[in-house]
Amino acid sequence: MMTKDQYIESLRKLKLNLYMFGEKVENPVDNPIIRPSLNSFAATYELAEDPQYEDLMTATSHITGKKINRFTHMHQSTDDLIKKVKMQRLLGQKTAACFQRCVGMDAMNAVFSSTYEIDEACGTKYHENFVKFLTRVQEEDLAVDGAMTDVKGDRSLAPSKQADPDLFLHVVERTADGVYVTGAKAHQTGFVNSHEVLVMPTISMREGDEDYAISFAIPTDSEGITLIYGRQSCDTRKTEEYNDIDVGNKVYGGHEVLVIFDHVFVPNDRIFLNGEVKFAGMIVERFAGYHRQSYGGCKVGVGDVLIGATALAGEMAGSAKASHVKDKLIEMTHLNETLYCCGIACSSQGTKTKAGNYLIDLLLANVCKQNVTRFPYEIARLAQDLAGGLMVTQPSEADYRNPVLKPYIEKYLKGVASVPTEDRMRVLRLIENMTMGTAAVGYLPESMHGAGSPQAQRIMIARQSNLEMKKELAKKIARIQ
Amino acid sequence: MLRCTVKFCGGCNPRYDRGEAYQTVRTSLADVAAFSYPEDGVHYDVLLIIRGCTGCPYLYEDIDADHRIIVDSADGIPEAIRTIRQLA
Repeated sequence: MMTKDQYIESLRKLKLNLYMFGEKVENPVDNPIIRPSLNSFAATYELAEDPQYEDLMTATSHITGKKINRFTHMHQSTDDLIKKVKMQRLLGQKTAACFQRCVGMDAMNAVFSSTYEIDEACGTKYHENFVKFLTRVQEEDLAVDGAMTDVKGDRSLAPSKQADPDLFLHVVERTADGVYVTGAKAHQTGFVNSHEVLVMPTISMREGDEDYAISFAIPTDSEGITLIYGRQSCDTRKTEEYNDIDVGNKVYGGHEVLVIFDHVFVPNDRIFLNGEVKFAGMIVERFAGYHRQSYGGCKVGVGDVLIGATALAGEMAGSAKASHVKDKLIEMTHLNETLYCCGIACSSQGTKTKAGNYLIDLLLANVCKQNVTRFPYEIARLAQDLAGGLMVTQPSEADYRNPVLKPYIEKYLKGVASVPTEDRMRVLRLIENMTMGTAAVGYLPESMHGAGSPQAQRIMIARQSNLEMKKELAKKIARIQ
Repeated sequence: MLRCTVKFCGGCNPRYDRGEAYQTVRTSLADVAAFSYPEDGVHYDVLLIIRGCTGCPYLYEDIDADHRIIVDSADGIPEAIRTIRQLA
């Protein structure tokens, strides 16, 4: 396994074609806006080195029998699925941000089982290709971005019917050695911190969409890939002279990029789906299921930090003993643990796939994610309720460092006498960061749309709700023939 | 001197500081027990399992040890120390 430092050094070797604020970024690793997201990703390596966390952070490879980072593991049991959720909660607690590596883990588990079944049905060699790729990922402890979401253009039209054929990533040229692809993947979490990208189709497909039914893995710095860094609210606070208190979370963060593939070559042995349209949906459904499970872990860990920050804000203001404050903290905890219950439940009810890795219960995973589209918003609302208006009206750190203004700020922003004013400012900025600053991208809209927007889960819930059986139960009790 | 080893649960939601608990046990028993992290093929007199809560079921049966002592709360630390000392 790679150490944290080895991982960071390995990223320096990537030649990413990355742009931000209209300019090429030559050194993403040390860029102050990007670095917090790298630190979060690096935590997945750092904690795996620590005996206190290794039981969750590592696993035994079913391919080599060696100890590997769990983020590269194919789940071999329901216990593995449960440990995955616990690991994600742990990392959410440690970073209070999106640590980005889940998407690759979920993509790899989905493609591993799907390629096995595609080969079985079609006589292809995709599983062999994938296992070769996976073995290298495990051996070298690589970071993998899972790329599913196409930009999609007109939602009412199939990929092959779009006015612009590139609005879904597709094959534009075929050679004896491989294929060339063109298109774009949106909202790519952690791409800049990844060595490889595992591309998957974004929706179920039908005849005529063959060129769009493509899955593959290539290095993130492959020729023809351009990255445009996603803007986050309050992002440039990280570049200000005083960039400690006001950023809320100085060390950790997350990121998304728009990834453009412009005639990018994919060699044959890195292709995992190529025209078998009826299996595109299988990959999508399995990836979405795993990723909807993930949110029952990572967002819960971030929620733990937000609940803690809110409780501290109450203590610092002297309101901790008020019954409504205690009750709101209970409600936040109840909501947060409900999400965790869903993550654990869908894991414990997992089943073995034909390829041998374990798949979560898809109905429960979709219920999990459906709750995640709602509860973090309510937790954030309660956090803002208890934090008070000062969270968004307090002076800047630059004002606080001004010798003329500092005595006034010290005096008038003081809560409980024994608590330093600066500590109170820091906690309020952390709540701001998580509910409306850079980290809110990961905690709120990502909870809404990541792994599929709410309606996508409702479609899956409808499909798996077993309504006919429920009607039969009612008929029997009501004595209806 | 007892040969002892330690395994931590993964620490997803610990109710106390597991690292601090380990240091307390190790320091308290420094005169009778030598602790190290587990290695393959090594036999231990005691495996100390430090769980962050009561929800973790693992006994780490791949580790060869005569005795398994479990701590799952800060309150359980003194009893673990007493038990290991009695084994010495």
